[in-house]
Amino acid sequence: MQKLTENDVTSQSVFLNRRSFIKQLAGVGLLLPSLPSYAYALNSVKNPNYQPNLKLTDSEHVLHYNNFYELGTGKSDPYYNQAQLKTDGWTLTVEGECRRPRTFELSELEGLFDIEQRIYRFRCVEGWSMVVPWDGFPLAKLLNLVEPTSKAKYVEFVSINDPDNLRAQRRDILDWPYTEGLRIDEAMNPLTLMAMGLYGENLPNQNGAPIRLIVPWKYGFKNSKSIVKIRLVEEQPVSAWMKAAPKEYGFYSNVNPNVRHPRWSQAKERPLGSFLKKKTLMFNGYEAEVAHLYKDMDLKHFF
Amino acid sequence: MTRTMPIFLFSLLCSLPFLLLAWNLVTDNLGANPVEALEHTTGDWTVYFLLLCLSVTPIQRYLKPKTSGWILPTHLIRRLLGLSAFAYGLLHLMTYWIFDMGTAWDETLLDLAERPFILIGFIAFLLLIPLVITSTQNWQKRLKGRWQTLHKSIYLITFLGILHYALLVKADLLQPIIYMGMFGILMLLRIHTLSSKR
Repeated sequence: MQKLTENDVTSQSVFLNRRSFIKQLAGVGLLLPSLPSYAYALNSVKNPNYQPNLKLTDSEHVLHYNNFYELGTGKSDPYYNQAQLKTDGWTLTVEGECRRPRTFELSELEGLFDIEQRIYRFRCVEGWSMVVPWDGFPLAKLLNLVEPTSKAKYVEFVSINDPDNLRAQRRDILDWPYTEGLRIDEAMNPLTLMAMGLYGENLPNQNGAPIRLIVPWKYGFKNSKSIVKIRLVEEQPVSAWMKAAPKEYGFYSNVNPNVRHPRWSQAKERPLGSFLKKKTLMFNGYEAEVAHLYKDMDLKHFF
Repeated sequence: MTRTMPIFLFSLLCSLPFLLLAWNLVTDNLGANPVEALEHTTGDWTVYFLLLCLSVTPIQRYLKPKTSGWILPTHLIRRLLGLSAFAYGLLHLMTYWIFDMGTAWDETLLDLAERPFILIGFIAFLLLIPLVITSTQNWQKRLKGRWQTLHKSIYLITFLGILHYALLVKADLLQPIIYMGMFGILMLLRIHTLSSKR
């Protein structure tokens, strides 16, 4: 295993110091209700194919600005309520139309698959974006392990349902648990990642600990956080946001500057930390890798 | 003469949210999405000042019917609160126009045409302008009875402002519902005055 290089030291140590600050605060008891997630470095190796020359988003922004309604609907709620997410004893079940369904512990996953670091663009449907180094493994490797049958046309992702601890789930803001879906070829695409960390450390609670989905060519809400179950299915899944507002959030939700959203023009985006907007790229800049998946599809219809 | 200091102090009080926001802006303390923070904060304070303005009459009638004011006469308090609402509304609109629309008129017109909540917010702002222009005692004398009628449009404006907010939220309607509730209460407290002859 190659250790992280000198280039990473500064941003790494600054990042780790920020999270140890949270642990120090936890000692003060009154400020946080209970200990937040335990931070540790992952054995992550940079994948040389995914090191684009892009400016990384300040990790401060990535950790303090989140849409994770289970932890509250404000952008800073997930950071403040991070202790509500309990990740001890977490398991990930992969089942459905496959020959070897299986339930994994987190340590099993880290043992079975090499963790690699990839720098991806991330574009929220609301019009903000970021560039983050995610640490994880291709979803294709996980799915191949369970051997999907020919009936597996789609993949459904189910996130945690824990209204006892995740207080926001006691309200019907969305139809809990949060569900998302991909077509099988989208799930098998080399870009699709199961992320267990970012910036070389395990995922903070507010970013979807302990394991989440990353599909960089789609709007952020399709990147399910805190996944407990992956199901291989025959029918196209209906996602939480499709149920909430079917005219606004479609199944595919590919990043597309030419398809206007009822609330936001999608032609531009605002990188976190900046005032000015920049042009949004077709498929979030991953046209070369994924355009073929939608060759004959009218993307205004299949939004 | 003796009112200058209280007016100045009250205006200073009303400008505190703006001063705090400006301070946070220059010290880079607005978080990951500063434009969003500017829009939301100025939007919130527009609604707060509208609701505060609408609270003056009920508070006066129900708590201290004989008073003509506290330090400042109520009509001045109402005016300053109303003007503050307009000021924050203007900041809100400017933030949107400069940073979201990039001062592009064609994009703005497209936005207004395609997104109802933007159009509603814009209409609410436009309706405030005649109220600002006629906010002086001079105008009150000139318009007499019609002044009261004109300024009752503050009810519609407040409603549209809260509706603008309700239509823009993605899923969590809690805050707009609370605002609507407060607006509803302030309107209910006026029922007996609306129906009684004065």
